Amino acid sequence: MSGAGGEAAAIPISQHTIGPFFPQTFFRAGDNDLTRLTAAAAPTRRGEPILLRGRVLREGGVPCINAILEAWQADAEGRFRHPADPEAGAADPDFAGWGRAWTDVEGRYEFRTVRPGGFREPAGERAPHVSLLVMASGLMRPLLTTLFFPDCAAANARDPVLALVPPARRPRLVALADGEAAGARVFRFDLCLRGPAEEETPFFVE
Amino acid sequence: MEDAGPDGSMAAEAPRHFAPWPPGVEPAVPIAGYGNTFTHTPSQPPIRRPPTRTEVTGPLELWRKLPCGDDNLAVLAPGRMAQGQLIHIGGRVLDEDGRPVPGAVVELWQANAAGRYFHPNDQRDAPLDPDFIGNGRIRTDAAGRYGFHTIRPGAYPVPAPGAWWRPPHVHFSVLGPATLSRLVTQMYFPGDPLNPLDRIFMSVPDAAARERLVARPIPPEEVGLGWLGYRHDIVLRGRAATPVQP
Ligand SMILES: [Fe+3]
Repeated sequence: MSGAGGEAAAIPISQHTIGPFFPQTFFRAGDNDLTRLTAAAAPTRRGEPILLRGRVLREGGVPCINAILEAWQADAEGRFRHPADPEAGAADPDFAGWGRAWTDVEGRYEFRTVRPGGFREPAGERAPHVSLLVMASGLMRPLLTTLFFPDCAAANARDPVLALVPPARRPRLVALADGEAAGARVFRFDLCLRGPAEEETPFFVE
Repeated sequence: MEDAGPDGSMAAEAPRHFAPWPPGVEPAVPIAGYGNTFTHTPSQPPIRRPPTRTEVTGPLELWRKLPCGDDNLAVLAPGRMAQGQLIHIGGRVLDEDGRPVPGAVVELWQANAAGRYFHPNDQRDAPLDPDFIGNGRIRTDAAGRYGFHTIRPGAYPVPAPGAWWRPPHVHFSVLGPATLSRLVTQMYFPGDPLNPLDRIFMSVPDAAARERLVARPIPPEEVGLGWLGYRHDIVLRGRAATPVQP
């Protein structure tokens, strides 16, 4: 480890599970709303509000209760308010882009957000997508996956990340249109942490 | 944008900031006696992908969404002190180049001195402490420092056939500057005889990596006589991955 202000190379610390006792008092209303910077802030007015809903299931199709999901995505124009985005300065200043949800006794979760935009980068043209991180008792490392949208077939076909997934498993990463609720289109995305290979959600490592 | 290249394209360089996990650091799963590691861990290997912009970015002002400031778990309210050995846990959050990570959100939770959590899922027959909830959330300062006043947690048994006891430990959740710097881990206490018997601790294959999960005692003059002091630095993934705050 380095001294004060040091620049010595360091090795990242090992990951562990959250265990069964992640504090319920950490959760507040609005944590799962990506459209607001704070619980009290007004939602962004850019983009189309949508709801992402689904269930988290473990082996045997059993609901995974007390799982935590964290979502992160670009704004409606495909920009991130982060220095690693060359267009960060034009990103939506009222859009949080991040939210945390936890599953109920039936394994259900919900996020409120806006439809993300796609963007171009050296690896290729990214289709609109939402990054999802899943944590649960027994998961010694968080699982990372990516949600794509069903009405973006052409963009999905060009996406360099989706292209890495075996074709038979790609449909597991595409959400399903599921009507409307609270004035917003609903997209359904179920996660199967462990199951038969063709049913299991593809997860990624970088 | 200080790190932007001549073409102004930091995105082209950003993926270099994240190397794969070094060998031996990640826990080996499943873990015998820990059933959930069998039922929750995917059967298929994860698909390796190069980091894209989504993975190298993250919310830089997350403390606005997750309010921070609960750094004293030992004092629930004036005059209401938790039972147990008063301790202070502090250190720095760093990236893989040893640079401090300012503005990281650090969440901590732990059992009480009797080894019981203030959580409806913990129905074990051990006493609850009416003056101890056992969780807090703060953000690191400009030098990447964090610190909590709390009490030393007790050990508790894992409720499973052929079970074992978890040594005293503290859970950490750290939200750094990028999706790939997200960390959930646990901190252990030096010299506890239960450490080498803990199957979760021992699931980390590399002995040096396990050692980095163990806090170091620090001299009283650095923390004050009222609190037994521990130092615990937390290194997140990412080489120079910490963006300069606007
Ligand atoms: Fe624990």
